[in-house]
Amino acid sequence: MSEDKFSASFKESSVAEFFKRNRQMLGLYGKLRSLTTVIAEYVCNSLDACEEAGILPEIIVKIIPLGEEHYEVHVIDNGPGIPKDKVGKALGKLLAGTKFHRLIQTRGQQGIGASGCILLSQVTTGKPSKIISGTGGKPLYMELEIDTAKNEPKIKLQKELDYDYRGIAVKSEFKEVNYQNSSQNALEYLKRTAIANPHATIKYTDPFNNTYIFERSSGYIPKTPKEIKPHIKCITVDELKTLAKDHSKKTIAGLFKQEFDRVGDKVIKDINSLLDFDISKVTMSKANWEMFEKVVKAIDKTKTFAPRLDTLIPIEEKYLEESLRKIIKPEFLSVLSRKPTVYHGGYPIQIEVAIAYGGDAGQTLANNEKKLELMRFANRAPLLFDAGACGITKAVNSIEWRRYGLKDIENLPLSILVNLSSVHIPYTSAGKQAIAEEEEIVEEIRKALMTAARSLGLHLSKKRHLETKMKKRGIFLNYAKEVAEGLHLLTDRNKKELIDKLEDIITKKLQIEEMNEQEESEDISEGEIPEDAEEKKSKGKKDKITDYFEADGDHDE
Amino acid sequence: MITMSDTVKKIEKLGTEITKQIDEGKEPNYSIPVRSLGNVYYDKVSKTIKLGDKESKRHFLNIGHARKFMQTILVASEVKNLIKHGATTSIRDLYYALKHTIEGTKENVFEDQSESDPLIEDLEASLGLLREELHLTASTKGIIAGKMTVKDGKDTIDLARMGSGGWGVPSNVEPEKIEIKDLDAEYVLFIEKDAVWKRFNEDQFWKKHKCIIITGKGQPARAERRLVQRLNKEYKLPVYALMDADPWGMYIYSVIKQGSISLSYSEEKLATPDTKYLGLMISDVDKYKIPSNVTIKLNLQDIKRIKEMKEYPWFKKDKGWQKEFDLMKQRNYKLELEALSRKGIRFITEEYLPHKIETRDFLG
Repeated sequence: MSEDKFSASFKESSVAEFFKRNRQMLGLYGKLRSLTTVIAEYVCNSLDACEEAGILPEIIVKIIPLGEEHYEVHVIDNGPGIPKDKVGKALGKLLAGTKFHRLIQTRGQQGIGASGCILLSQVTTGKPSKIISGTGGKPLYMELEIDTAKNEPKIKLQKELDYDYRGIAVKSEFKEVNYQNSSQNALEYLKRTAIANPHATIKYTDPFNNTYIFERSSGYIPKTPKEIKPHIKCITVDELKTLAKDHSKKTIAGLFKQEFDRVGDKVIKDINSLLDFDISKVTMSKANWEMFEKVVKAIDKTKTFAPRLDTLIPIEEKYLEESLRKIIKPEFLSVLSRKPTVYHGGYPIQIEVAIAYGGDAGQTLANNEKKLELMRFANRAPLLFDAGACGITKAVNSIEWRRYGLKDIENLPLSILVNLSSVHIPYTSAGKQAIAEEEEIVEEIRKALMTAARSLGLHLSKKRHLETKMKKRGIFLNYAKEVAEGLHLLTDRNKKELIDKLEDIITKKLQIEEMNEQEESEDISEGEIPEDAEEKKSKGKKDKITDYFEADGDHDE
Repeated sequence: MITMSDTVKKIEKLGTEITKQIDEGKEPNYSIPVRSLGNVYYDKVSKTIKLGDKESKRHFLNIGHARKFMQTILVASEVKNLIKHGATTSIRDLYYALKHTIEGTKENVFEDQSESDPLIEDLEASLGLLREELHLTASTKGIIAGKMTVKDGKDTIDLARMGSGGWGVPSNVEPEKIEIKDLDAEYVLFIEKDAVWKRFNEDQFWKKHKCIIITGKGQPARAERRLVQRLNKEYKLPVYALMDADPWGMYIYSVIKQGSISLSYSEEKLATPDTKYLGLMISDVDKYKIPSNVTIKLNLQDIKRIKEMKEYPWFKKDKGWQKEFDLMKQRNYKLELEALSRKGIRFITEEYLPHKIETRDFLG
């Protein structure tokens, strides 16, 4: 199905109007959230474009304060750029992006992001956005608005610039937005983006003129994402009904074979065996709602090939580890990648988690104390908002951290990172900040986190052990002085000499103890921490950190 | 009698043994007799509890022992200091004399007197020395009255003229400190409770019945027990105990008679095996028609203690005691001495006790 036809099926005039009135669907509401979302949309587009073109991204972001609740945003990338004749349409027409309704793993998901931001700029300042797009050679400069009645780009000024540039540079002004120190601001967003995209270099200048540079920690170029056809197990009755408009003359079986992944004669035969009609004979236009319902039920019961899993692009353990070491500098780090699997029968997913302890891990409070920080990602894009409604949060909360020796987890200097990779992220809303609580996804996250939690538990218990040992030495040395004094009074021996001799004995003793421990340590430490399998799934028993995460919702509303 | 220099030598030896270990690069340790139920036995000859020969080692480099090790060395050094200067001090003074903060820490060598007291007992036991020989005294609380004169240093004291308060028993009652001069009594009455002792003193029971009355106000200190032992051994006076009819009172009786586990190393000098248990007994309730509403129900702790005491060697072979314990458990109650006041305020001194002694109604 082509996206042109799909978007044509909407009344174009209503699209821009609709989104203008329903900004919250785009996440463009709330003063802090709007500004963060604008940055997120532009940066996602840049990263996706670079990835598809096989370019190592270098992105410059600037937020310049112009007045009260009035800022100018610059986002400049080194991506492939947009061909001159398509710039206007790509950025100035809602739902016209190249990515809409494709099953391909990208950060943004719908083609409403950048154009939505341009629209926001326009409705809050009345000004066009300034765009430079170069594909190599001399770039094109234009001032762009959106005709909200027609959902068409309105180019106010267009000229070729006299220097070489490749990439997209966007400059937009916004009012009614605000920037503040917060775990939900652009800085946090870009920091997390850098963590999950170790191949990108991001330079950011905040409204207070502080510049942060997140250098790429890995020089690898990620795999180019592959587009895949949807898996037949994911089809819904409603979607079949929609597809019928574009494929009216095809038989149902024909449509399945052509538009869905890995559907062959065997699958068609199996579906048919459960039906009182033949999907090889019935055309899409002839089928009614009830028939589609029967077909979907039959598919549910039919054995099909599992979807291809090689379409996923995770961050990858080693790269994630490198970037976390560079950006968070933790004392302890456990990074874990689960094997790809499927949810809903047909969508491939892969979970990556990391637990970082100490160093710059954890959220820093105003009093400089640290508390637990959860970093959620979908396809390497940070999710900063709606934490309470997110399946990742729920998975984290459902783990009995105490079983791994992690007491009072809310107040540990701890960062938990979860990245979900999929061609189809089940967001709970168009704001794209929370992932639905899909059973398979939650379970994958839990399994990965439990393994990582066990390693952290071991690390902390070893650390405590070491501290005890240091303490022990201190105690012996302090007491040695008293013992020497007492012995001096009893025997007239020289106190200093006795202290020195006792110190030698103490040192020798502790060395021997340590050697003995090293021999035994493996067995002991393994035994202390429970295995995955022992973790109960009961939700009633979970650590009470729900409140903490829910309180971490949007601040500025 | 051990001389002062012998005592000093014994204490110094503890020090030199440890410095020898240190010189040899060994982990310092010393041995102390184990003062627990597992290492005491009933000596049929002396008829007292005695300490067995089990020893345990206290290691400086064992984190669980280190503090006690350090404290013991300090206590020993201070005791040596006391003896050298010919001074005597209370165990509380010793605690304060030693108490200081360990250099470079916020930790005191002793946080509480309860830390130093048991170490003194350890030292007594391991050196085989009495507390008095260490020039240490414990605070006393016992009082005594009766027809008896003592010489305490230069003072001569008539214990029949001590008024309602009686004479406070000093901590050292060894013959060289306290000389018993005139004694006109036929027995000693060892009373558990201060209030009951005061009733007996007020009624001048000791005058009418020619006896010495003494109380340790609960569990008696060493001095009261030592003094009673002297009256029994040197002057052949029988000793009768008057206690509550409950497991605690009976345990105190047991300590007076046979000794305690923690002082098992010196019970030969403290216990009075001839002591008889006059009362109160559960069987007295029927015998003297004591109303049952003055009894108190046993608690779980009581029942546990009864079970333990039934097994003590000196109770185990005594049919009278076994019957008494069984009766207490069966009736499921205990009785305080004051309960006898229900029968009239002087019932205990004028009827109960004279009758008991007359009929020799007591347990061994």
